[in-house]
Amino acid sequence: MPAIEVRNLLKKFGSIVAVNGISLEIEYGEIFALLGPNGAGKTTTISILATLLKPTSGEAKINGYDVVKEAAKVRQSIGIVFQDPSLDDRLTARENLDIHGRLYHMSREERQRRIEEVLEMVELLDRADSIVKTFSGGMRRRLEIARGLMHKPKVLFLDEPTLGLDPQTRRHIWEYVEKLRDEGVTVLLTTHYMEEADYLADRIAIIDAGKIVAEGSPSELKDSVGGDIIKIKCSDAENMLKKLVSNGYDAMLVDDEIVIKAKEAEKMIPKIFAIADEEIKSITYKEPSLEDVFIHYTGKVFRDEEVDEIEASKMKWRMRR
Amino acid sequence: MISDIYAIYLREILRLWRQKVRLVTMIMMPLLWLGVIGNAFNSVMNLPTQGDFLSFLTPGILVMTMVFTATISGITTVFDREFGFLKEMLVAPIKRESILIGKMLGGVTQAVLQGILILILAIFMGVKFSGAMSIPGMFLTMFLVSIAFVSLGLAVASKITSMEGFQMVMNFMIQPMIFLSGAFYPTTFLPDWLKIMVKINPLTYGVDAMRYFAIGVNEFNIIADLLILLVFSITMILIGGHFFRKS
Repeated sequence: MPAIEVRNLLKKFGSIVAVNGISLEIEYGEIFALLGPNGAGKTTTISILATLLKPTSGEAKINGYDVVKEAAKVRQSIGIVFQDPSLDDRLTARENLDIHGRLYHMSREERQRRIEEVLEMVELLDRADSIVKTFSGGMRRRLEIARGLMHKPKVLFLDEPTLGLDPQTRRHIWEYVEKLRDEGVTVLLTTHYMEEADYLADRIAIIDAGKIVAEGSPSELKDSVGGDIIKIKCSDAENMLKKLVSNGYDAMLVDDEIVIKAKEAEKMIPKIFAIADEEIKSITYKEPSLEDVFIHYTGKVFRDEEVDEIEASKMKWRMRR
Repeated sequence: MISDIYAIYLREILRLWRQKVRLVTMIMMPLLWLGVIGNAFNSVMNLPTQGDFLSFLTPGILVMTMVFTATISGITTVFDREFGFLKEMLVAPIKRESILIGKMLGGVTQAVLQGILILILAIFMGVKFSGAMSIPGMFLTMFLVSIAFVSLGLAVASKITSMEGFQMVMNFMIQPMIFLSGAFYPTTFLPDWLKIMVKINPLTYGVDAMRYFAIGVNEFNIIADLLILLVFSITMILIGGHFFRKS
């Protein structure tokens, strides 16, 4: 039995489809990343799995329990770190964890022992009795991770765990997520940072417009692009593209750059110069990144749109409730 | 279920304890009302009330401050939503009702605590509580009034998403209710149209009951007072519960 099992999950907000038929299987102990731009449906998916939203159709099981029919059991099985802060900043770190332990029906001894353990893990033990208000953004995140782990959940959801943190703090948080492997907890994290998914995840599902477009380990995904990536900037990109395609190159135009997939880039580059009458401004080649994987599967640059349609309609939908 | 309610309740009390400003306000507001307004009116007015004006005013001030405190405690739901703690409670393996009851009891505790503070203050100012069944009666009234207004606060907080909206409710709902409840003056000499407003105001009966238990003075039948208050409280609990569950 997988830790998380999702079948054809669909969620509509009014006429907008936020999650469009997602299926996933995540094994116990895995660190799994949902990677996609803002508004791709990541948070909606997590909200459904955490029983905060009901799916329009499809089904999902966490730790063997159905998220709709057995919501209470699902809740006992999961820990969650929300995208937005959800600590009580008037209370101390210890009090936040203690209330959490009570809400998850832990005995007094269990709570006391576990508070020490999780605070130790995120290196906040010395600040246990400080009011959360005095904590920095990174410390709050760490405390939230500790809280998510407090009741020893089978599955931990991390919704954009490093959103809005500086690069140094981000690295720091990554180290803690890495440590979760030792806790044996299954982690489902969402992110729109390529490096984050690349660094942390055993497996990644790339999600765009509510659909999973590719799934696999980071190296599998990169291999699936097929070889290296050559990028060319030139004065008449349209014309250049036509020439390349008619010469049998696997090329496409992304923004104002021509992107070519190549088996052996270093041998291909001289040939490209040979057929180019256009003035080539720059030419680069590299091994594919997850960004290239995203472009490969969606034909789009990975980019955050401002507040997109889905977010906007979700907001309206929330207001109406 | 009980331990879940207690967890939510515990948080409310811890929060209150941490917000020293709120505790200070809880003492300052009645002190100003009783000490300044009460004594000032006592010396310039000769109202046809039994006993001195300060004694007449005390139950009114008691109800007023409790209504404010209770309603404002409903505000914490707005904070919870804004600062995300509501989500932490919603994903916990507990019933929605536990959250609701825990929050209500937290608000009631706060309001009743406030009530007790005022009683002590009033005793120091020389007010004598001489009504029948003084202590249990006053506590019963305090409980009914505070749970009604905590629920009102919760209902409003479930619907309103901003602090500004909450201010509006306080100004356009709570304050008129207090001014038209006879908390500050006997209603006997009001013009007829105001008398009608006073009579349809449920808080009037809370003030009347409190006055009856505290100093033995009242306008209406005490049983009627308590019944109306009880019906009002239950209605508010149901409305508050309904909106809270939907939000």
